[in-house]
Amino acid sequence: MGTTLTYTEQELVSLLRNRDNKAYAYLYDNYASALYSIILQVVNDTELASDVMQEVFVNIWRRIEQYDPAKGRLFTWMMNIARNASIDTLRSRSYQNSRKNQSIQDNVDTLQVNDVIQPGVDTIGLRKVLEKLKEEQRILIELAYFKGYTHEEIAELQKMPLGTVKTRIRNALIQLRGLLK
Amino acid sequence: MNIQEYISSGIVESYVLGLADEAERAEFEQMCSQYAEVRAARDTFELSLEQHAMAAAVAPPAHIRETVLQQLAAGPSVPVSKTAAPVVQMRPVKRGVLPGAMRYVAAASIVLLMGSMGLNVYYFNQYRSFSQRYDQLVAEQTQLAKNNGIMQTRLDNYEQTMQALNSPYMAQIKMEGKAVEASPSPDSKATVLWDTRTKDVYLMVNSLPEPQAGMQYQLWAIVDNQPVDAGMLNMEKGHMMVKMKNIPRAQLFAITLEQEGGSPTPKGKMYVMGKV
Repeated sequence: MGTTLTYTEQELVSLLRNRDNKAYAYLYDNYASALYSIILQVVNDTELASDVMQEVFVNIWRRIEQYDPAKGRLFTWMMNIARNASIDTLRSRSYQNSRKNQSIQDNVDTLQVNDVIQPGVDTIGLRKVLEKLKEEQRILIELAYFKGYTHEEIAELQKMPLGTVKTRIRNALIQLRGLLK
Repeated sequence: MNIQEYISSGIVESYVLGLADEAERAEFEQMCSQYAEVRAARDTFELSLEQHAMAAAVAPPAHIRETVLQQLAAGPSVPVSKTAAPVVQMRPVKRGVLPGAMRYVAAASIVLLMGSMGLNVYYFNQYRSFSQRYDQLVAEQTQLAKNNGIMQTRLDNYEQTMQALNSPYMAQIKMEGKAVEASPSPDSKATVLWDTRTKDVYLMVNSLPEPQAGMQYQLWAIVDNQPVDAGMLNMEKGHMMVKMKNIPRAQLFAITLEQEGGSPTPKGKMYVMGKV
């Protein structure tokens, strides 16, 4: 994916807000692959990822008015939409799945690294970077970022004090920044 | 607060990745507007994240592009809010977990709802089927009542005919095809019943060929060699006694075939005649 932008982010946002079809085509051509990669890292299923993709672009279309450039880049905003939509989809899927329809408490003991980090997608994107973290940190980022659990839920899941969860996640994130550079 | 410490606390990454909670987010946005260093740190991390994501991009299946763009061109029909909202819209993802007892209640109510929906469909179909059968029965009943009415009228007519035939005041004039020279139907017979008191004339057809379309039999009374119209025959009445005109005096009765509606004087062929 090139960064040969023909629009500045400001121009692009303004065109998107005017429902300019060309701007959306441009948006898709420039960002779809990056967003698809993020979706794939969460849902780990190409078919599901395709569905989420469509939902993400509809969401971008619907919510473009809510995007506030003062609070961050357009890509960051879209990335979070993609992540949220992916986690929501996964949640609704696994909720339908009777196998997983046990309470958290039942799950805690059997929660393994292999359960949370599926094979296949760990070689792309952030997941690849996460490989370089210590396993205890990786599990926490996995649960927080890719599974969307709150810190409180993770503390309960991992039988860990909330403060420890917060500190470890922060430390993992600081390392992540270094790894991304 | 030491800004450098704040920046390197992991809050920047936590905020950008959408892992910060509500309070942390509010604080961070406040810090961003206040300190250019915080903003710069955020921009830097965002950019490195974006570049990394671009580098790690995976091309989606080609067909999605068309689907997405068509979908957007058609325009999702949801009104778009004009109000600006926080950029990182991290609504905490709701856990799909209910307390133990509640999930059984939820499961049971879903089962009940499904069951109830099934029954609704079943009863609606039953209702439709019964409703149709009811309409059918009503139609049949109406038809039967109508038939019954027709039969009743016919029976009344026969009774009247029988009475008239048995009445001592009723003169019977038998009209025959044989009595007519060159009658088209020599075997035809008809009877005039003439009430001697009221002079009302009734006609009963014993046998007459069915007239062709546009033609109708007409009864004549011959009074002093002059034919007098005594009424038109309605073949639909069959062999029953039909009231004709009042004829005070006559020597002969005869039937001719005329144009439908009758003629003032007989023009068609005579079929039967009989003397009084």
